[in-house]
Amino acid sequence: MSLDPELINDCVHCGFCLPTCPTYALWGEEMDSPRGRIHLMKQHVEGTPMTPEMAGHFDACLGCMACVTACPSGVRYDRLIEQTRVEVERQHVREPRERAVRGLVFSLFPYPRRLRLLRPGMWLAERLAPFLGRANPSLGAMAALAPRVEHRQRLPRVVRARGERRAVVGMLTGCVQGEFFPQVNAATARVLSLEGCDVVIPRGQGCCGALSVHSGLDGQARRLASRTVRVFERAGVDTVVVNAAGCGSSMKEYAELLGREPGFRVMDLSEYLAELGPVAKRHPLPVTVAYHDACHLAHAQGVRSQPRELLGAIPELELREIPESAICCGSAGTYNLLQPQAARDLGDRKAKAVGTTGAELLVSANPGCTMQIAAAMRRGGAEIRVAHTAEVLDASLRGVSL
Amino acid sequence: MVTGGLEGAGVFGEVTTRQAGDDDAVCGVRPRWVALPETVEEIAAVLRACAERDLAVVPAGGGTKLHWAPPPERCDVLLDLCCMNEVLEHAAGDLVVRAQAGVTIAALSAALAGEGQELALDVPFGEDATVGGTLAAPLPGPRAFRYGTARDLLIGITVVLPDGTVARSGGKVVKNVAGYDLGKLFTGSYGTLGVIAEATFRLHPMPPERRWVVAELGGARVPAVAAALAASQAEPSAVEVDRPDPAGPLTLAALVEGTAAQTRGETLRELIGPAEVSGEPPSWWGQVFGDDVLVEVRFPASGTAAVLDAAAGCGLSLRGSPVAGRVLLEPGRELDEDELAATVSGLREKVEAAGGRVSVLAAPCQGVDRWGHVSGLPLMRRVKERFDPGRRMSPGRFVGGI
Amino acid sequence: MDTLIAALRSLLPHDSVITDPVRLRTYECDGLTYHRATPGVVVLPGTAEQVARVVRLCNDFGVPFVARGSGTGLSGGALPREDGVLIVTSRMRAILEVDLADRRAVVEPGVTNLAITEAVRDRGYYYAPDPSSQQICSIGGNVAENSGGAHCLKYGFTVNHVEACEIVTPDGDLVTLDRMDPGYDLLGAFIGSEGTLGIATKITVRLCRAPEAVTTVLAAFESIEQGGQAVSAIIGAGIVPAAIEMMDALAIEAAEAAVACSYPEGAGAVLIVELDGPAAEVERQFAQLEEICSAAFELRVAADPAERAAIWKGRKSAFAAVGRISPAYIVQDGVVPRTSLPAVLAAIDRLSAEHDIKVANVFHAGDGNLHPLVLFDDGDPGAGERAEVVSGAILDLCIEHGGSITGEHGVGVDKSRYMPKMFSADDLDTMQLVRCAFDPQGLANPGKVFPTPRLCGEVPGVRKGVHPLVESGKADQL
Repeated sequence: MSLDPELINDCVHCGFCLPTCPTYALWGEEMDSPRGRIHLMKQHVEGTPMTPEMAGHFDACLGCMACVTACPSGVRYDRLIEQTRVEVERQHVREPRERAVRGLVFSLFPYPRRLRLLRPGMWLAERLAPFLGRANPSLGAMAALAPRVEHRQRLPRVVRARGERRAVVGMLTGCVQGEFFPQVNAATARVLSLEGCDVVIPRGQGCCGALSVHSGLDGQARRLASRTVRVFERAGVDTVVVNAAGCGSSMKEYAELLGREPGFRVMDLSEYLAELGPVAKRHPLPVTVAYHDACHLAHAQGVRSQPRELLGAIPELELREIPESAICCGSAGTYNLLQPQAARDLGDRKAKAVGTTGAELLVSANPGCTMQIAAAMRRGGAEIRVAHTAEVLDASLRGVSL
Repeated sequence: MVTGGLEGAGVFGEVTTRQAGDDDAVCGVRPRWVALPETVEEIAAVLRACAERDLAVVPAGGGTKLHWAPPPERCDVLLDLCCMNEVLEHAAGDLVVRAQAGVTIAALSAALAGEGQELALDVPFGEDATVGGTLAAPLPGPRAFRYGTARDLLIGITVVLPDGTVARSGGKVVKNVAGYDLGKLFTGSYGTLGVIAEATFRLHPMPPERRWVVAELGGARVPAVAAALAASQAEPSAVEVDRPDPAGPLTLAALVEGTAAQTRGETLRELIGPAEVSGEPPSWWGQVFGDDVLVEVRFPASGTAAVLDAAAGCGLSLRGSPVAGRVLLEPGRELDEDELAATVSGLREKVEAAGGRVSVLAAPCQGVDRWGHVSGLPLMRRVKERFDPGRRMSPGRFVGGI
Repeated sequence: MDTLIAALRSLLPHDSVITDPVRLRTYECDGLTYHRATPGVVVLPGTAEQVARVVRLCNDFGVPFVARGSGTGLSGGALPREDGVLIVTSRMRAILEVDLADRRAVVEPGVTNLAITEAVRDRGYYYAPDPSSQQICSIGGNVAENSGGAHCLKYGFTVNHVEACEIVTPDGDLVTLDRMDPGYDLLGAFIGSEGTLGIATKITVRLCRAPEAVTTVLAAFESIEQGGQAVSAIIGAGIVPAAIEMMDALAIEAAEAAVACSYPEGAGAVLIVELDGPAAEVERQFAQLEEICSAAFELRVAADPAERAAIWKGRKSAFAAVGRISPAYIVQDGVVPRTSLPAVLAAIDRLSAEHDIKVANVFHAGDGNLHPLVLFDDGDPGAGERAEVVSGAILDLCIEHGGSITGEHGVGVDKSRYMPKMFSADDLDTMQLVRCAFDPQGLANPGKVFPTPRLCGEVPGVRKGVHPLVESGKADQL
């Protein structure tokens, strides 16, 4: 049993987590709320076997960690759900169809090279989406979300600082980010360089292990994490800057996963830039921006004010808040692939909220989120341009339009 | 002690009792006895005796509103509470007062004023009206807009049920959610559930200053001005209008209380237009002049224009609050029964279309539909049946002939 | 039960009837975990009509039902019945109408308290009652409990802010109770009846205009007595602040441990006073307040909303925070007349010493509403029992001083045994008349509020001989 009863007992059943939980927002059911899931964990710890119903409620958790932010008693739901997922994988026998989808997802996403093979087929995926959706909702979701990929830019091993060098940092390129959103990585490197950083981008880095951690694939997670640690330790940087929220939050927990402290600290791009302080000139960007809190940035890493400050400091940029900002958009790593209906409903909900801001541009620190929300907005007949925080900063620093 | 003739001898034991005269008639129904209890126990003794002999009882305070509501189906005993006239406890530090039902509002106010406090109800006929009568047949005054009505300021009550049971609910603390709130049920029950013997109220400190902003206004401007006043952050305690002649001019007065009343009054004046700020209320403020026929209209703020028009169209004078949504109407001339019935039904049709309700508080005749449709009537009948199964308490005086 | 479940399934969408035992157990308690019971079946209706149909079905089968909103109550008011239906309103959460011209909103019962304010805040309005759990507690639950909150000192409770309720009566009728309607104030009687008179399915609430100015002051005193004197002086000066809250040294310690609220060091008590209203008035009252709090060794004034939130943070986290300084604790809720506060606090001190049980005091000082947190170590044998004794004795103190056994948490299942201490048998019998008028079959949330189940068929008020339930040994006579 990998579940820690002490952590379960910290919950006093106050219910403050309920309003921030995306699945509770959708279904209004106790067992699909953090409080209810902790209750299920307690039942399991006390001897109730892992029933398919129970497993279903754990699977339905997006792992957005909004509840961790909301909890006044400091319950470590993040750890609890990870331990539970391991337990689910160990004890719960999934239906063959579900097994097939999960198998496909976890043999594909953490591996950049396998992903790269997919890219030429993206246009096809888009057209096939409706047919795939009929055959299997998960496959349909996977296809519908597929981004149109820009030309891949190969980043050099080191991007030198412009002007006076103020720091040397490592940069994670990630798997999904690197393959599907190379422009975000390029923008990140440029922004860091313009702010006076030497940016070290070691070869041989792959997936950081986040997707596997979040899905209870303990072994795969550890393997991928060790490799990432090795790569950056060898590169000799003491700070690794990450621009994907999900990767950042997992990497910040490497010590717990691997049982040893890595030889570097992990920081989100916006967190790092805020700490570093601006030197580069900001050019005006006359655009209205809705900033979306990626769960793994806002809840898992507690990074909320920094991206807003960075965006707000750009002349002529108007920042608008999205209502219900604490609620997840439904993307949640592989969630939109594994729980397509819930993800879709949450996406629609978020799209509606984003729509009320009337903003022209949707910005977040996680491409999964922006992809998900943009797709939902298209479904609802609205279009919105999307960008990563790094891209907006990059445009302002370079004085080009978005 | 029994006085006034052999017939009543010993009926109510030691309770002072006299034979009733013509002056004691309730809407023309002459009781046989008038009982004058001096304690809660004596009220209980009278009611027990009445229960044993199936005698009908009408409780009375100052008698100022005894002719409101329909005549009782029968009345054997007028229970005159004038001797229950003690202020039992004024806990000034707790802003709470407990008084017997027969204490007049004037006496109560005088006692409270000694400590710089008040019961924030504007009770008409206050010289004679009693605590019990003010609860049993409440009439919201101007400041109900800010402080609520009698039921909102009542925090504890002692009642005597028709079988002589003495029951208390609430208490002498403002914040209290233990048990059902019998005070709410008895407030506005017109003596049909039992006898109110004692009441405890929450008090307010007497405001250091009061200012009335008084203006003559075209009726058409009232809805907009009232809405602006209600939304004003200068926080008026009351806004009243008076239109004695249905076709004549209308006066509007707004009251501000507390500190900086002059400044706040001037702020309100800007919302109204040409107006006078005065330390004295207009002569009609909170008054009920004639009540042979008295009609109460309650309405949502959005219905103000419709109510003003309807009152004018029906030839009724109008006084009351457009912000609290409550006005009192009186016919300008004497109407016969048919005319009154027609006027009321015409008024009701227009008012209900605007989301309001019409109640005829006082009318000297039977042929008028006093209450219109009462949605909770079946439940109310069941409450009456439980409290007064013998129908001995003011029978026939309330909604649906309760 | 099986036939009932089959009938429920035919009434409601498939996913609205929960029967799986593992799922049912997640509904076994509300915010008070001490009392637990797995419901016979849980339903999640989506409309008032569905609620009414479920209740009618319960009537047909003679099965009790319990309503539940967000399940945050602290008196076990939503404790399910093993032989009954739990009707959960958490899917009925639409804000149906916001009408600022009429200053009201119409909402379904599952809408959270804070959601109403959030819907109108931009336009300068808010919903006044603000229980500490306002981000999650539902309006339906607020109506059942007549919830208050820190600001009810000036603005009153749920009952003062609800204009109308559509309810499903215990026999399954949909009835609207409206303050505008003539007749008995059934709305007033319904609010605070803890689910024993029916289920609210649509609620019309009053919206308040946001005040022009708000000033929040944190005053630190060396002792709780000094703080108490300041409270009396504020009220004596004729000021009615929006809120007056007090915390003692132990409660401050807990809050610091949990949220690092940085209250002044060495304080024996802190007082949070919030003044609101027209700017000119708030300004003058603040000047008075400064004078009154001259005994305070530090007076902090919040300059902006962020600083105000920082001051409130310590207070609002206090309950959950106590978990950081004690393995287990009981949250008590009692009321005393404000002027009795010093005597009662001293008595609580004595109780605490006598039973070797620590008590942290957090309270709404303005209206004498105490929330003593009785701390104990559940690993220490006998400590739990001693804490229970102290907790109960505190309620006795409240009654002794003419107060109440609950100011806002409700009686529920937890405090029904104290009701006969606060009320006489006649008082309770009379309340029971209301119950019987609404719910002659006794199916709506039975076992709550009142200590003894009783039948409604008797001649009210006149007790004749032994009650059949008592005779059969099923209940004790009051």
